[in-house]
Amino acid sequence: MRKLVRLAVVLGLAIWAWRRFAGHSGPRERAGVSFADGSSIVLEPGSVGFERLASIARSALRP
Amino acid sequence: MDAAQAIRELTELSSQIESAIVLGADGSVLASTHEDPARAAALASSTLELIGAAFELNAQPYEVTRVEVELESGALFVLRDGGRTIAATTGPDPTSGLVVYDLRTCLQSVTEPVEKKKRPASRKKEEGSE
Repeated sequence: MRKLVRLAVVLGLAIWAWRRFAGHSGPRERAGVSFADGSSIVLEPGSVGFERLASIARSALRP
Repeated sequence: MDAAQAIRELTELSSQIESAIVLGADGSVLASTHEDPARAAALASSTLELIGAAFELNAQPYEVTRVEVELESGALFVLRDGGRTIAATTGPDPTSGLVVYDLRTCLQSVTEPVEKKKRPASRKKEEGSE
């Protein structure tokens, strides 16, 4: 019985640690553009291109 | 299928899409989930502005085929195919691949109704004149 309880505690701690350190950490902001020649670019927050696209998108998402 | 029917099917199919709009080659609104024309026009304006801004990001003058902007408050997707454009907004953290697939399917199902309606009318005129 003690072994079973110990196993449950260890499993619980492992799941908590996985969620805390390796799990999904909320929504991530990004932008992507594809072109007719097959090329594409990904823009991360902080870049000029991202901020321009994000400001347009924010106005469209406003309720 | 006309644009209104296609957009109805899109919203029934995808639970992630909150609003959507289909634009013609000239930028006019073919169909929208917004009943208020002002809101449809605002989304159309943002869509065209987004395409313009995305076009300026590339040094080569290639047409923009897809734009995705994912933010904490939600996401805006724009796809272009055959001169037509579809745009959709979703909530935060959408399944991008699935949304893009649904939008592409919707856009490809839209046919131009104008030419098809004109043909039978011109036949009737010819028959009447004989």
